[in-house]
Amino acid sequence: MAPKPIASPVAVTWYPTLAVVMLAIGLIFTASFFIYEATISRKSRSLAKELITGTVASVFLGFGSLFLLLASGVYV
Amino acid sequence: MREMGLRLDVFLLALTILWAPALSDLVLSKVDRRIDLTSQIARITSTLKVENAGSGLVSEVLLAFPESQAKHLAHLTATPNEGKGKVKGSGISYPVQLVHAKDMPPSLTFYSVSLPKELGEGDSFTFDVLAVFTHALKPFPEKITQADIQLLVFQDSAHYLSPYAVKVQTLSVKLPDARIESYTRIENTKNIGSEIKYGPYENLPPYSYSPIVVHFESNQPFAVAEELVREIEISHWGNIQVTEHYKLVHGGAQSKGEFSRLDYQARPHVRGASAIKRLVATLPPRAHSVYYRDEIGNVSTSNLWSDFKKTELEIEPRYPMFGGWRTAFTIGYGLPLHEFLFESDGKRFINISFGCPINEVVIDTLIVKVVLPEGSRDISVSAPFPLKQWQEKKFSHLDLFGRPVVALEKTNAVPEHNQKFQVYYKFNSLAMLWEPLMLIFGIFFLFVTGIVYMHVDMSISKSSASYLAKLQWDEVQAAIQQIRNIITRCLVIHDKVEASLRDLSRTGDIQACKAARKAADGLLKELSKEMKPLLAFLHSSQQAAHLLPKVEELVVKVKDLEERLMVKHSTIVDCYEKKYGGREIENRVASQVQKITALRQEVDDLLEFIDEI
Repeated sequence: MAPKPIASPVAVTWYPTLAVVMLAIGLIFTASFFIYEATISRKSRSLAKELITGTVASVFLGFGSLFLLLASGVYV
Repeated sequence: MREMGLRLDVFLLALTILWAPALSDLVLSKVDRRIDLTSQIARITSTLKVENAGSGLVSEVLLAFPESQAKHLAHLTATPNEGKGKVKGSGISYPVQLVHAKDMPPSLTFYSVSLPKELGEGDSFTFDVLAVFTHALKPFPEKITQADIQLLVFQDSAHYLSPYAVKVQTLSVKLPDARIESYTRIENTKNIGSEIKYGPYENLPPYSYSPIVVHFESNQPFAVAEELVREIEISHWGNIQVTEHYKLVHGGAQSKGEFSRLDYQARPHVRGASAIKRLVATLPPRAHSVYYRDEIGNVSTSNLWSDFKKTELEIEPRYPMFGGWRTAFTIGYGLPLHEFLFESDGKRFINISFGCPINEVVIDTLIVKVVLPEGSRDISVSAPFPLKQWQEKKFSHLDLFGRPVVALEKTNAVPEHNQKFQVYYKFNSLAMLWEPLMLIFGIFFLFVTGIVYMHVDMSISKSSASYLAKLQWDEVQAAIQQIRNIITRCLVIHDKVEASLRDLSRTGDIQACKAARKAADGLLKELSKEMKPLLAFLHSSQQAAHLLPKVEELVVKVKDLEERLMVKHSTIVDCYEKKYGGREIENRVASQVQKITALRQEVDDLLEFIDEI
């Protein structure tokens, strides 16, 4: 079998766009998480809703910051 | 120097007599040697025509080097002779190995070349031998001032030193400059321009040796890297980062006296002819993010050109480097992953150049470190020449266990060692997800901390009045929020009822409208049931006293709104059943509609007020 070149799973040129988009989505979810924490009284807060918002926000922020690192030349 | 050569000559003559008969099967029928001294590296290309004069089959040819040369030997290859055309890059070379034979003169080092086919009686074969020597050119005088030119001395033998008899031989020495201080004259010596020719000499016995010394001007920079550490870091996210740390010294004639920057600036080609002014590194094509810095910081005197075949980086040290002066700097660049990393048979391998990209640099110790991604297994190295090898660990961005590092060491490296080598390893693509997962868990941990902080009751005194008041207030807030939610749901149901009326006017389906009304009635009843305990709680709570009127007003208004809506609904449905005209219906419900709009406005105002609590 002839050697096959290996490329990155995501094209390198997409990294800046992906970083901006995913960080934006992540920050929106973070904002909604903190608005929820601050406005809804302790008794009526739902733990599931908090955890779901937090998870979605951290997934987007996690991938977003990875792509930000890659786009800025820090290849992890 | 000459005396020493003479002594060696006498010694070798004695050897000739002793060992000559031992290896007489082969005869070198023609030897052409070309010594290239145009750079600091001495390259000797010899074209040998071997003839088997004995009866047995011969498959190995011995090459002899005197000890003084053998210790400087950096590279030795035997390649097929391609004639005058010299088409490079056929890539074939014959195996060469060091041999220690007991019946050989101990002052000589022997290498044996394995021929591709065995030579029978009378057969002959022609091949090229390239021997590269470092530090073989000695500056003489050893110390010069800034204004002096650099003179070098090179020693070799005019006769080809070989354990075999040589029938015809010639030697040419190519020098960088036409200016030659002196050279040994023996019979058949010619000097044409910057080239000195010796020979032809005919029918010389084995181990003939005739020392020659060439003393000539050379202002070639003697860039010697005492140590070069190249770090090649693979990231499967699309990059190969190469970082090269140089410890460079000018290995030519030592500088003595003062250095005058003024003289140097005024006439750099005279006052500082042998200084290293700039270095040119030839990087692979599509190299990006190139940088050049030393311990102090960025050195901005550099230029970069690139085309589709290569990227050229020209760098200038902070100061012109005279003999014996040192500098240390770092260059780094990124390379696209897919041009260097490949997969074959379930294994990944990097295929990248081993040596230093800077032209004509001698490297005393070259260490190449290949940093593989975290989680690589079964690492193996394949290189075209022997290397010292060991493994390390490196911690970099987002690492848990450290990245495996393969370190390869080569002493005495020359540009001829710029060959590709491979590092094979196994890697699971899913392991790439470690890095994002670590980031995700890190951020998620922050969110969980926030949730815990907001949920945990951290007051110290659980019985103080203010604490109890706060608890009560929390409960009141929760109750008000629930009431608000219920009212929102009520308003949604009202909207549905209105929507069913609009449907009725469009389709005339009275039954569907009635069904919607029934469903809405049921839901509203349930909601009012839910509301009751909350209102009762607010009544009992002292903290809610000042809010209670507003909340009650809201509840009453909503109830009123609901009733009026239902009246409107019944009226319209009734009219439809009696088949009244549109104008008639409008007249009948006009007053209700007005009131509903007003009430809706009031309810919205009250909701806004409650939201602000």
